[in-house]
Amino acid sequence: MDRRDFMKMTGGTILAVSSGTYAFQFLVASGRSVSGDNIAAGTVRWGMVIDLNKCIEGCTACLDACRTENNVAFHGDNRWDVHWIRKVKAEQKIGTESKEKSILLLCNHCDKPPCAQVCPVQATYKRNDGIVIVDHHRCIGCRYCMIACPYNARYFNMKDSEHWQNEERPKRSHGVAEACTLCAHRLDTGRQPACVEACNNTGAGVLFVGNLNDSDSEVSQLIADRPTKRLREELGTEPKVHYIGL
Amino acid sequence: MEIIFEKLEGKSLAYRMAMLVFAAFAVGGLISTWIVIEKGICVTGMTNRVPWGLQIVMAIYYIGLSAGSLVISGLYGVFGKQEYKPFARIAVWIAMLFLIAGMLSILTDQGRMDRVFVEPFVHFNLQSMFSINPILYSGHIFICVVYLWALFTERKRFTTIIATIAFGWAFCVHSGTGAIFGFGARVLYESPLLPVSFVTAAMASGTALMILLIVGLFKITKRYLDDRLILWLGQFLAVCILVVVYFLFIENAYRAYVVELRPAAMYYLFEGLHSILFWVGLILIGCVIPMFILFRKKTGQTIKWIVFASSLVVFGVICERYVIVLPGLTHPQEILTGMHITQSAIQEGVANYTISLAEIAQALGVFGVIGFLFLWGMKFFKLMPTEAVIYDQIGMIKRNEYQKRREAKSIKSSE
Amino acid sequence: MNIKNIIQCRIGFFAALLAIIIIIYPLGYSLTDYAIANDRAEAQPFLERTAPEITDCVEDTIYMRYHHWELLGKIREEIVRYGKRGDVSLDTCKKCHTSRVKFCNKCHDAISMTPDCFGCHYYP
Repeated sequence: MDRRDFMKMTGGTILAVSSGTYAFQFLVASGRSVSGDNIAAGTVRWGMVIDLNKCIEGCTACLDACRTENNVAFHGDNRWDVHWIRKVKAEQKIGTESKEKSILLLCNHCDKPPCAQVCPVQATYKRNDGIVIVDHHRCIGCRYCMIACPYNARYFNMKDSEHWQNEERPKRSHGVAEACTLCAHRLDTGRQPACVEACNNTGAGVLFVGNLNDSDSEVSQLIADRPTKRLREELGTEPKVHYIGL
Repeated sequence: MEIIFEKLEGKSLAYRMAMLVFAAFAVGGLISTWIVIEKGICVTGMTNRVPWGLQIVMAIYYIGLSAGSLVISGLYGVFGKQEYKPFARIAVWIAMLFLIAGMLSILTDQGRMDRVFVEPFVHFNLQSMFSINPILYSGHIFICVVYLWALFTERKRFTTIIATIAFGWAFCVHSGTGAIFGFGARVLYESPLLPVSFVTAAMASGTALMILLIVGLFKITKRYLDDRLILWLGQFLAVCILVVVYFLFIENAYRAYVVELRPAAMYYLFEGLHSILFWVGLILIGCVIPMFILFRKKTGQTIKWIVFASSLVVFGVICERYVIVLPGLTHPQEILTGMHITQSAIQEGVANYTISLAEIAQALGVFGVIGFLFLWGMKFFKLMPTEAVIYDQIGMIKRNEYQKRREAKSIKSSE
Repeated sequence: MNIKNIIQCRIGFFAALLAIIIIIYPLGYSLTDYAIANDRAEAQPFLERTAPEITDCVEDTIYMRYHHWELLGKIREEIVRYGKRGDVSLDTCKKCHTSRVKFCNKCHDAISMTPDCFGCHYYP
């Protein structure tokens, strides 16, 4: 076999394999959507209401509960720490005086999630009950979702976490992105998320999670009765975390 | 006149030393990549606020070089400029290798490199720019292989066809890469102009690199190269830089003009390290000085000055890539409208990014792999022309003079 | 024709041979490793019956031996992507097969294949 034959054969093989692969991928891709399709659409749509007026200064019950429940990595370095939910102090200027308040920030579980749109492997996707979730078995760690998220709500496992507080629940290896899952494992089995439970245990009652599609649910009532605001509504991402007193 | 291509002998000291240096770079890159795989991204300078770093900068730089050098081969393949035929094979070979370099940079940047070869091809997301681009990239590599085959077998008609496809595809590839950023959500990324300005910067850097490479290779292997070929490329480079400057101006003028984007534009232009890279690295070294050299009659017609200007452009475009990727990430996102965050568990406000040793080692490693492959290919394939001549009267006279001088020299040395 | 000439003439052949050797090396290594192990009983998974009331696995032994990754993958897909949390999960395995070292690792060590599960999922 001379070189010409060799080149011909190599070229032919590459052509056949690549075209076959792409044809297959397009067939597969056309049959799928970014969101899951096994939960009946329209019945449940989880959402959250945060009543910031009741939030106690210096209380970290929800943050700690989230950390222990989901084994969220903590390294003591603000470059690598992962926060599914975090508390910031923000200053707002009203007239001449400035008012400071604590605000809870977490994944907004957008109805039109930019992170799910850009994920090249559909690892980040929106379940049909509205929860935006990362399939850590699939994530390749390209961090494009972190670029796309306008809320800085997504974090990357820069480093393996040493702590394993809750052995019932998995932790994440380094090299995958993650964000709040709204404790999907708890909601699926009819329990409230860890942060809501912890908040209710302190008696503050800041956090509410419920079905936005059900007009009788607590969250729907709160949204109907009280003035609520969502973060960066002008972006059109339709976040499902509503704030009272922002 | 038939142009004869030949293999490099690859026995000189310079060749072997270059191979050794490139291999050393590659080994360094491999070691640092292994450390990143073992310990995680924390060994690099990237943080949760700045999730992309030097590797992405280098990736889009390499992809740009690839698209740019394919343009040089297109001079022969598409536009039928016979005098540029000697460079066609090298240009395509380089285009293929630099695209592989871009792929390697992106690969070594991923958190889970073990999954990269499976998941993106099994679970396809047509809405994602990151999913569309691999089609363009792998198609580009494939087209380059076919193009090389057509050039090797001297099929004229087929070469024209595949060269035209490759030319168009290279534009798509680079527009797609620009779209990763241009269609992004960040304030300093979002711009429909970015894919276009990506292409122009790619053409500038690719041409500059080809000038450096051609002049260097012909000089080292002591082959005859007609000056006028390089002079024309120099003028082409100058025009490319002019277009780059134009796009840069439009983009930044837009941001500075629109009230909403003005703070971001001020941040981009005047604050932090990237603004120094922008003004000194990109505008001064990458654009103004080379344009001055190339458009000036006296220096623009001298090979040495053109080579100098080209090396400035090659450096300047790295800065251009840096100021595309990093400022958009370090610039704070406005999460709470009208509020100022005073206390937080993560970095708020302007984030800082410092290039770490691991990333530099990785970037050099990719460069080493590609350099090694390039030199190896020069020895293995018939890529190098024996001479590059314009076959007109002046060209023939010049070549004959050169040959006479060579012969006289060799007689002298043998005596 | 000396050895140098032979190598030069057949460089493509040797390169291909080298590539094939590199590709099949892991498989060959684990197979020979498994074959020459003196005590084949070492590779038998150990079953700890701490829950005597459970006598059956979710599937029969042969299926579990050769297809357990498919089952686990299917369950994983349903739980993670569709939120269908049924009766069977990785936690169900823990009830009978209490030790990873004595159960999973037995075969997986023998064939030199490290599963990716236990970096994130706790299994004693």
